[in-house]
Amino acid sequence: MSFLRRHPILISIVLFFFATQFISFRLEGKRERDTFSGFILTLTYYPQKLIFVLTGAIVGVWHNYIELIGIREENEGLRNEIRKLRQEKFQLWEAELQNERLKKLLGLKEDTLYDVVSANVIAGSPSILRSQVVIIDKGSKDGISEGMPVATYEGIVGRILLTGGKSSEVILITDEISAVDAYIHRTRARGIVKGTGDGCVMEYIEKKADVSVGDKVISSGRDGFFPEEVVIGTVVETEASGGFIRARVSPDMDLNSLEEVVVILKSPEKTVLNE
Amino acid sequence: MNRVYDILLFAFLSFIFIIVQSTFFSPKNLGVFYPDLNLILVVFLGLFSEARGSAIIALVNGFMMDVLSGNVIGLYSLSRLSLYLLLRGLSTHIYARSRLTQAVALFLSTLFSWGFIWIGLKIRTDFRISFGDIMAQGLVNTLTGIPLFWIIHKLYAKVQG
Repeated sequence: MSFLRRHPILISIVLFFFATQFISFRLEGKRERDTFSGFILTLTYYPQKLIFVLTGAIVGVWHNYIELIGIREENEGLRNEIRKLRQEKFQLWEAELQNERLKKLLGLKEDTLYDVVSANVIAGSPSILRSQVVIIDKGSKDGISEGMPVATYEGIVGRILLTGGKSSEVILITDEISAVDAYIHRTRARGIVKGTGDGCVMEYIEKKADVSVGDKVISSGRDGFFPEEVVIGTVVETEASGGFIRARVSPDMDLNSLEEVVVILKSPEKTVLNE
Repeated sequence: MNRVYDILLFAFLSFIFIIVQSTFFSPKNLGVFYPDLNLILVVFLGLFSEARGSAIIALVNGFMMDVLSGNVIGLYSLSRLSLYLLLRGLSTHIYARSRLTQAVALFLSTLFSWGFIWIGLKIRTDFRISFGDIMAQGLVNTLTGIPLFWIIHKLYAKVQG
């Protein structure tokens, strides 16, 4: 320990050298199923799920009760009636929204050729280095494995990066290492949709191809990960990029407020690489 | 016996911080203005902890960050361990009880940590991390870290007492 105290900078340099070699090695190698990583995911699942359930309950209480305290002060005579009506209205509204979401999820289940598993988003990445990662409350015990595509009724969300027993990590299509082979729905012009950190771009579209703002972008199914004909987003801007066209694509759903997703139980046709 | 309690306290805090950071303070929701609670804990360990297993706590802390953020395993683990060892070595040469020292240590530790990760990744990939983001993170960590240090100090004193 005294050696550490005398040579902190030397120790840091040695560790840094070791880290760069280690990282290079990891980047070259294929991602293997890591038991210890899976254990960490499972270990963190329970408190994350607990927080998810508790915050959901607290928000429910807030909406159903605390907001109504203000109304009581304004008009004591009408308060009971208003509270009942508002509670009923809110519950109906919540039920309607949930019903709509579930119907659409069910619709997606019926439309797809693959089995799907519904899941809730319970946490996000703790690091900004890779912030486009979320954690869902379903894992290998539900038949989920690395590389499986994840979607909502509005389109592709991402794919499974790592699985634990009861939870999994999903890398979103907006992450910089994400790529999806895609078509422009209207003209069948092909390209690759890549994440940019806060959105997506479709690259390598042939210069003569017909691409306009408002065109829907769908998956081609040729990348081995995603099933074909699933919506990715809408073209919001196009520009020439070398010998190709580059189109900015906005996902049709808000990936920052994901709540419910479905994992399509389709194993990748190629080995999944982490990086 | 107190040594065992020290380690248990820091292991517990490390676990709680990673859970809080992945739920309430996720950069997915807060962007660059999220407090890196686990980095703050490692800075505390480096400056104040006398417990022998602190280096392992720092390493496991980084490992959990690697796993939950989908990064290359080893990136955060080694940067956190390296930061801990550096601070441990420097802690005898500085007056760590001063709020100013703590603020400077938190800010510079954020820069060191990002520098470590940034240079490590730049060697093989084109990862883009803006300097402005790093500075903003340093500021947020400093502002969050000072009151958090006070709380951890209180807990640490109770365990030692």
